[in-house]
Order: sequence, then C-alpha cells, then structure tokens
Amino acid sequence: MSTGEALARAAQATQVEIPQEARDRARELGWEDGLIELALAKGHSLQVIWQALRAGVDGQRAKEFLQGGQTAIPRDLSWMEVPTEWGIRARPKDPAMGLTIADLMIGTYGDVPDVWTNRSEIARGSYPNPIVEDMGYTIFEKALVWADCCVPLYEEAIRDRWVSATDLNWNSLEPLPHDLERAVCQFMTEQSERAYFTGALWSGWLPEISYGFLELKLFLSTIIYDLARHSEAFRKRALSNGGGLGLQAPTDYSRVAKEARSFPELAAILFVQDSMLYTLFSHGDEFAQNELERDLYRFVARDRKRMMDYHIERMKHMLFKLPDRRDEQNLYLNKAESRMGKDWADPAVSEPLAILLGGGVANIEEGKRKLRDLRKLQVDSYLADLQKATFIRKHINGRLEQAIQA
Amino acid sequence: MAANPATESSLDLSWLDLYEDAASAEPGKKGLTLKEINLGRYADSARGAGDMTYRMRGAIPRPGAQRFGPNYQSKADVWSENCLMLYEEATQRQWSSARDIPWDTLEPLPDELERAMCQLATMLTEVEFIAGDVPGQWMPFVSAQDFEAGLFLMTQIMDEARHTDVFRKRALANGGGLLAQGAGLGLRTLIEARDFTEMSVLMHVQAEGFVQSMFRMGELIGQTEADKRIFRMSAQDESRHLAFGVMHLKYVLDTEPERREEIHHYLDKAEGDAAGGGSGDVTFPPVFEALCILLGGGVDKFDEGLQKFLLLRKRQINEYVHRLTVAGLGDRRERLGPLMAQFLDPA
Repeated sequence: MSTGEALARAAQATQVEIPQEARDRARELGWEDGLIELALAKGHSLQVIWQALRAGVDGQRAKEFLQGGQTAIPRDLSWMEVPTEWGIRARPKDPAMGLTIADLMIGTYGDVPDVWTNRSEIARGSYPNPIVEDMGYTIFEKALVWADCCVPLYEEAIRDRWVSATDLNWNSLEPLPHDLERAVCQFMTEQSERAYFTGALWSGWLPEISYGFLELKLFLSTIIYDLARHSEAFRKRALSNGGGLGLQAPTDYSRVAKEARSFPELAAILFVQDSMLYTLFSHGDEFAQNELERDLYRFVARDRKRMMDYHIERMKHMLFKLPDRRDEQNLYLNKAESRMGKDWADPAVSEPLAILLGGGVANIEEGKRKLRDLRKLQVDSYLADLQKATFIRKHINGRLEQAIQA
Repeated sequence: MAANPATESSLDLSWLDLYEDAASAEPGKKGLTLKEINLGRYADSARGAGDMTYRMRGAIPRPGAQRFGPNYQSKADVWSENCLMLYEEATQRQWSSARDIPWDTLEPLPDELERAMCQLATMLTEVEFIAGDVPGQWMPFVSAQDFEAGLFLMTQIMDEARHTDVFRKRALANGGGLLAQGAGLGLRTLIEARDFTEMSVLMHVQAEGFVQSMFRMGELIGQTEADKRIFRMSAQDESRHLAFGVMHLKYVLDTEPERREEIHHYLDKAEGDAAGGGSGDVTFPPVFEALCILLGGGVDKFDEGLQKFLLLRKRQINEYVHRLTVAGLGDRRERLGPLMAQFLDPA
C-alpha cells in the first residue's frame, strides 16, 4: 500500500461510525483501544471486522493478524466438525411420492423423543448452541400431540391440494329455487365461518409446539391451509348464484374450542366437530344441489379425512402413553357434545340442511326425517371414531341426544 | 289456498329472508377468485365495525353472539391491498418439495462444499420454522372482517412448512446431515412482537426481505440443479410474503401516518438486536463462513467468496431500504445503523 493510499484509508476510517455493539464485543475479547480503527485504516471493511468479532477472534490474535499485514479474515470453520450424524443420503421409497419427510426419518434424525428438552428453535438433529434464548414453547411432551400418521399425511395433503378458483366449475351453476338457494347460502355462511375460525384456532397453537415434533407441526400447517381454502370456497359458493351470506354461525361450539387450556383439551373438543363434519361432507351428495357442490363437498371430505386420521391416532397414542388421562377426556367430549347439540338445535343450522335434504320447504317433513338419519349417522360415526382411538364413550351428552331426535 | 308449509311444520325460517340483494359473482380469467366475490356489501370497502366474534364480513350479525376475546378492530391493523391477489396466487403456486425438486440430480460434492450447503440448510430450516410460528401467533387476532388477510397468512404458514421441510430434505439428501444450530439469528425479535404491524415489518419486510435477496443469489450459492431450484421455488413464495408486508406497511402509513415513528422504533430494535444483521442474520459466523465457501467455490477460494458475500449484504441492505421506500418509509435510510449503512448506495 502506498503512503497516499494508507492516508486516504486512514482518513476514510475516521469517517466510519463504529457501532457500540462492536466496541463492546471488542472489549470483551480483549482488543486494545484503537485496534478497530487500525483495522479500518488497513483497509478492512467494517463488516469484515464485525465478522472477526462475531467469530470470537481475541485481542492478541487480532493484533498479530493486523501486524502481519494479512488481508484475509481469520476463519473458524469449527462448525464443519460438529458431532452430528453425517453421511445421510435420504432416498425416495416411493418414486411416485418423491422425497418425502418419511424418507428423512433415518438414523438419529428419525428419533422423535418422548420429551423434547431444548427450549430454542433448534432443528432436531442439529448441534445445539449451549447458550440460546428460550423461545417460549410450552409443549415438550410427545404423548400430547404426536401421531405417527402425521408424517405420511403431510405429503398426502400436499399431493391432494386443490384450488377453489379453478378446480370447481363455477360456470356450471344454474339458478335454484329461492328456498334452496337461501338454504345453500345459509349453510355456506355457517361453514365458511367455522372453517376460518378453526384455521385461526389451530394457527394460534403452532407457536406452542417445540421443534422436537416438527413433522406434526408441518402436518398442522396443511390443516390450517385446508381450512383457509374451505372458508373461501364456501364463501364463493354463497356469493355466486344469486344468494348471499346469511346469519352468522352460532357461537357455542366454537367458544368451547377457543376456551381450551391445553392441546389435549383442544384436540378432544375438535375431535367432536371434525368427526361430525367429516361424516356430513362425506354424505354431501345427499344435500348438494348441483355438480359444483358435490365436487366441493368431496374435496372437503377428502381433506377432513386426514384431520380425522390424525385425531384418532393422536388420541389412541395419548391414551396408551398416559392412561391416567383417559377419564379426563370425557369432560372435554361432554362439553363439546353439549355445545354442538345446542348449535345443531339452532334453526339456522338445522333448517337449511333439512330443506336441502328434502329438496325444498315444501318437502320439509321428508327433509327433517333425512336430517335425523344423517345426525344419527354422524353421532354413530363419531362414537366409532372414538372406539378406533380406544375410547369407549358410554353416554353422549343429553343435549346432543335431544338434537338428534328433534 | 295452499297451507303455509312453514307454519305446518313449525319451521322458524327467520334466517331465510334476512337480505334482499342477490350476489352473483362470475368467474374471471383466473376462475372465481376472491377479487370476483369482493362485491357490494361483501367487499372490503364496505367493511363495518368488528365485533370480536368470527363473523365473516357481510354475514348478518347474530343476536346474542358470544365474544371470542380481543381481535383487531381497525382494518389498517392487518390489511394489505394486495392480499386478495396474493392469496389466490399462493393457492395456484403451491409446490411440492417431494416432487418438484429434481432430487435425482444431486451428485456428491467435495466435502467442504457439502458441509457448507448443509450448514446453510440447517440455518434456513430453523429460520423457516419460526416464520411459520409467527403468523400463527397472530391469526387469532385477525378479524374475519379482514378475512382475506387471514387467509393469506394461512397460505404463508403452509409455505413456511414447505420451506422448513425442503431445507431439511436438502441437508439429509446428499451424504451430509444437519450441522450447527443457528444462534443470535435475530429470530426472537419476530416472536417478541406485540403488534401485527410490528410483526409484519420485522418478518415480512426485513427478515423475509433479507432471505429473499439471498435466495435470488441462489444461482451462485447452489452447487447443484436441485439446490438452485430450491432457491428459485422458495424465492417465489417469499416474494408474496414480502409483497404483503410492503403493502401492509404502506397501508398503515397512508391511513395512520402518526404511526411512522413507532415503526421506526421497531426497526431500531430489530436492526440493533441482531447486531446489525437484521432478523435472519447471515452474519452469524457458521452461516457467514458457509456462504463464503459456497459463493467462492471452496475453502481455498474463501476470499473470493467473501467479496461475493459483501455483495450479498450490499444487495440485502439496498433492497431492504428500497422496499421501505416503496412503502413510504424512505427516511429509514437516515437511521440505519453503521453495520447496515456501510452497504447503502447513495440515494
């Protein structure tokens, strides 16, 4: 470096504002006063000096480095040798599905611990930094949230995605009689709100779950995305055929879900609704008024099947691991059934379905009979779902029982 | 005279004729999108007051509806003018990390390059994990009066899940593994936010902006076609998140200009807390070194990589300031800390 260049750089160095964080860090590392300015004068950029400070280069090493006239930044590279499992070559087991997260469950990377202890956002299987901030997760116990099926269900959800804007034939809609259109729209209003609310509810629980259960969080993300699409698809149907949005959904059931104080309580409460809605949409052909609605209900039912698979396996797994919590589930299920019974008894919930099942107000008695059959089927399927989860519900809540008979 | 079936069957039917206007949205070139149904009293422009329930905008309020706890009552708190379009784009452009990445094109790399790529992937899978939690944290507070913003955030949660999984897949697909945890990446500032706009400006505009600038250099960072495609596909998603954030900030500054100084405070904190790196800090030593190795093409070309890294930082900072300027916060350039300001081009 010529004298002129050195002077120019020194002058430039005096113009660079040195952040307090850098000075503090330099002091911690034993850098002599003025060493940062010297480094700047020698042509090192502030960023390079900062990288040296972040890498923990101590004062002695920094001084030697600068006196030696080196221009290259010292490097550490110790991260290359951290003792994580190395040599992993995940390959697709099923070429049609591609490289799935199931294919990554190999070696230590596939170990989902019963209790996850790290409070940071560390990726499971990476080498922990010993000093990290607590990120505020509250769920560290596998038994509360986990179901093995979340691993394949995540990729299935991505494979089975659909788009309401283009996968439904909106041009096929034809005007319906007034009572039927209004019934469709009231049903859509209720379902759009329920889907939006439930998506928001699940979303709010995501930050509670620690990284140990990554695959479960990935799967929950697909549920949230599914519910977003359901909400908008129902809204679109309400606003596309001469109707509109009707009366806001009843709030009893959703409130009890919102009130859940723990993930198992939330999951037990949503088990009730998700089972009932899966059965409902699986029988969508019985109340659909046209091809578009049949397609919509089929798509929704397919998505909801994944949710139910998760619910059943999670509850089964939890009851196996935590048998002392079996009776507690009755408390949550009872609350949920009670509020669902109240919602079902609401005219804005029951009447649109009866009208759609009967084919119009004129055939309301037929519609009511079909609705009773459908409600009974929903409850029977729900009890069967609980049985699959190894839970025998001896008596359903009386309010729900009454709602079936109404 | 025909009997009134409603009377005959004790039907209530009070819900049947609550409105008289008929909505008949018709599909456009891109199908029936949120834009087509954003009409009449259902449109965002007709938004009424919120009511702390999840009543969808335009639905008739139910007498006796229970409240669900506080949510944002003002549109400006969560709104972005492009959220309808971004939601539909997100649904159309979902991709699969399992099938849309040419994993079969991966080839064994020199050990130092594989380790560098795995270190970068380790950091990114961690960053993207938080990026899914953060919008999740705010979803319960997004009123259904502004449901399109909520729908968009739900697509973001899905996008971030995919990013979390694709970088984990990359680390475990080519003879490597995960390496050192990131620390001090500035991610706590995202989860610490106590306001939606604070969260959005820190996550969407700053953190995702920095990540986006890096992904756009994916052609230089990636060592294989699979790597490059991962960066391209992820960048496409990040563009939406970033666009939401920029337009949200613009909406806030346009409609509530008194919040300008408050927003500067959030940025002061975030830029300082990550020691000048910002949220998703690439100056964290293992990430910095891994990037220099990847950009240079090996440990022996570290210094070449360092020059490209400095270009990356320059790009990150200038694009960041440009985005803030577009949003109406151009005066941020005067307040950048020295570690960022050193890269700033003259105005």
